[in-house]
Amino acid sequence: MNKSAGILLFANNNEKIDYLKQAYFLAKKVKYYLNLPTTVVTDSVKYLKDQYRDADVVFDKIVEVSWSDENYFYKNYRDGTLTKIKLQFKNQLRSKAYDISPYNETLLLDTDIILCNNQYIQCFLQNNNFLIYHNTCDLSLFRKSNEFTYINDIGVKFYWATAVFFRKSKENKIFFNLLQHIQENWNHYRSIFQINQSYFRNDHAFSIAIHIMNGYTEGDFAKSMPGKLYYTTDKDICYDIKDEKITFLLEKEDYLGEYTLAVTNGLSIHVMNKFSLNRCIDMELQNV
Amino acid sequence: MDEKLEKALAFSNYMITLHNQSKIFQEQYAQNSIYYTNGNQFTVTKELISFCDTMIRNDHIALILVDDNNIPVNVEDLKSFFKDILNVYFRATNRYLTEYSQIRKQRTVENLVNL
Repeated sequence: MNKSAGILLFANNNEKIDYLKQAYFLAKKVKYYLNLPTTVVTDSVKYLKDQYRDADVVFDKIVEVSWSDENYFYKNYRDGTLTKIKLQFKNQLRSKAYDISPYNETLLLDTDIILCNNQYIQCFLQNNNFLIYHNTCDLSLFRKSNEFTYINDIGVKFYWATAVFFRKSKENKIFFNLLQHIQENWNHYRSIFQINQSYFRNDHAFSIAIHIMNGYTEGDFAKSMPGKLYYTTDKDICYDIKDEKITFLLEKEDYLGEYTLAVTNGLSIHVMNKFSLNRCIDMELQNV
Repeated sequence: MDEKLEKALAFSNYMITLHNQSKIFQEQYAQNSIYYTNGNQFTVTKELISFCDTMIRNDHIALILVDDNNIPVNVEDLKSFFKDILNVYFRATNRYLTEYSQIRKQRTVENLVNL
């Protein structure tokens, strides 16, 4: 493994969701399972240091960024099937990950991943320079959505920007520059690739950039991250986290407001319901 | 509510949870069946095990295999590779059996998820 290897997290809080709490929790899990340093990129360094006295120990580096009012927008956040709220969404920095990352080998993760095994260490032990997930599994098994298979009806493959591994290389520099170009001209690319959502979404930008890097067809530029990405949506509720065991209430088919209990053991999970994730982290951090 | 209907709904709830939990165990089994070596990823299947066994029986000491990412890999020490994938297979299947046996005995939703 390269000496300069680490994890990169972007954590920019909005009015209701404390992404830094998730980043802090994830960085501790990273240390435990992967024994790698974590860099966090945030617009709230003072809040982070006030809230977590050991922030300088938990994080290898803290990178401060600032936001102007124009460069974030609003999107719906759910807390289960019955609650929905519109909040700020500050996700436009991911395309700059290549320049921001202090590591030669970087694993870029969303803060809402609960790490429960050391599978991601395999990224650093293999030879491909760019890894990303296409294969995923929704824990609520009845939902069959094409949304996460293709970004549009013309068949451009959907890739998840949730977990991306990259090495500093000429090709990856070109890729991230292209990503920034797509972001800067989002309305154009959104229209060309027939994406209905008006707001910028990293998953779509990564998918388009990979499609272009592959010569506008399916190709070999991106290889798969180890294993599969398991996820629950924001219509599900993360109920409890105890070490590697996570309990969920999963949306029940055709019964709005009702849930099915489910437990995972040793699976890393991408939890999209940020409210319930933060409640669980609060409980878990209290128990430490 | 009619008692018969209430019981049927409780049973239906139990069956949904059982089905979902079984599927999650299958997914955990699939994850545990992956063998990583020298930066390559192999899903350990009965086919892979049989193939390696056949090659060893035919006195091959090395073998070229294609991994999960369609990358050709020269396995230089086939016997050691075979031993490793067998270990992965036994660990994953034993864990799957243990977890599956536990939920099969449970008759309530709470017990299914061991709350």
